[in-house]
Amino acid sequence: MVTLDEQINLLKTIGADLERKIEALVIGGSAMMFLGAKTETKDIDLVLMREEDFLLIKKILKKNGFTEKRLRIIRGDYEPKINPTFLEGMNTRFDLFFKEVVCIKITESILERVKEVHQFGKLVVKVLSPEDIILMKCTTERTGDRDDGKSLVEKFKINWDIILEESLRQTKIGDSVFPVFLYDFLVELKEDLKVDIPKDVILKIMKIAEEEIIKAKKQPFRKALAEKIV
Amino acid sequence: MAKRLEGMQTVSTISKKLGIKRRTAINYVSKLRKEGFLRNYNGGRKVRFYIIDPLKRREVGYPGLYEVINKNSRIGLITRARYRVHGRPLSIEEVIVEAVNTGEYRTILASLDLFGKVRDWSKLKTLAVKNKLGRKVGALYDVARKFIRVRRMDLRTRKALLNSKVKSKYVIKNLRGKLGHFNDIEKLWEVYVPFNRADLMRYREW
Repeated sequence: MVTLDEQINLLKTIGADLERKIEALVIGGSAMMFLGAKTETKDIDLVLMREEDFLLIKKILKKNGFTEKRLRIIRGDYEPKINPTFLEGMNTRFDLFFKEVVCIKITESILERVKEVHQFGKLVVKVLSPEDIILMKCTTERTGDRDDGKSLVEKFKINWDIILEESLRQTKIGDSVFPVFLYDFLVELKEDLKVDIPKDVILKIMKIAEEEIIKAKKQPFRKALAEKIV
Repeated sequence: MAKRLEGMQTVSTISKKLGIKRRTAINYVSKLRKEGFLRNYNGGRKVRFYIIDPLKRREVGYPGLYEVINKNSRIGLITRARYRVHGRPLSIEEVIVEAVNTGEYRTILASLDLFGKVRDWSKLKTLAVKNKLGRKVGALYDVARKFIRVRRMDLRTRKALLNSKVKSKYVIKNLRGKLGHFNDIEKLWEVYVPFNRADLMRYREW
């Protein structure tokens, strides 16, 4: 597990080795630590928006003793341009992503909502907003992510409209029906973890999710997925 | 309550949001501050702005570009994100160069006040020349000097800035003060100043 101070030191190490400015997005537990919603995390997740930056960070981490771990993300026919890279070392793991995190693509609107910007020498790290972190958490099925979701909802004033809009945007540009994931996630949070989520929000998302499933059934590339959900 | 009031507030927005009297809102502000959920934001001379954060968190790193400008300039900047710098604090000279580098109108305008706090002209010159902003920084210094009380730049720095190279003549992409109030400065430094006299009058208000 990595604490905030350790995470900062690791990012400082990368920043010190860089010769040009690189921008990265920090997501998941690492982002939550910067936002003060978590005290430690298993891995540091970075998203790079340029291929050369992705390769450079990978090179620097390897130079600092991190070794690449062979892991594959299996999710339908998910085939990214550059596979995510997992590098282990110094009792932690760096997960590097290029432009997308499994099925969520980093859009302009996500970048506009960035909550914090941390500069570590030449490395500029942008922290995602709690709304976008929740959206990313809802696409996984890990128990830890449910707990993180609970913590985010309890600690921040979440703008549900933002999450809903982004889930629709992601559905449009991607191959998944995000409002369905979101609905499942919120129902689990409300029923299992007793998180205070307004009922009208859940009803609104349920309605949109139903509409999206109907729409997806008409699209050949989403039909199989939509039928599976039903 | 901090969660409900998250973001930037004034006493009137708090009283409106919670449906309470102004006096009660002031009391709440005081309580939230004592608990560490609220900090003041200098947003002008009359209305006080407060930033309310529902999480009591440990500040990491040092103030970023916009925070340093806000601390040292009479023109305030509001940003969507919180900027922090790790390793060592930003110096005034670094902030001026970074501000010019952003190419943002208001950031550059607010950063003019920082010329009055420059201690190390040589450092400013080195940073500006390294970032290929030498002549732009020099021109902005001359503009600032017309409206704000600033320290005199030493001649060696001035000469070095005058002889430096810049990537583009525009301080802000495709923006040029149309009224020609700073033609003399533009001619000397061979860059386009993005301001008119009226823009700088904000400094005269103080």
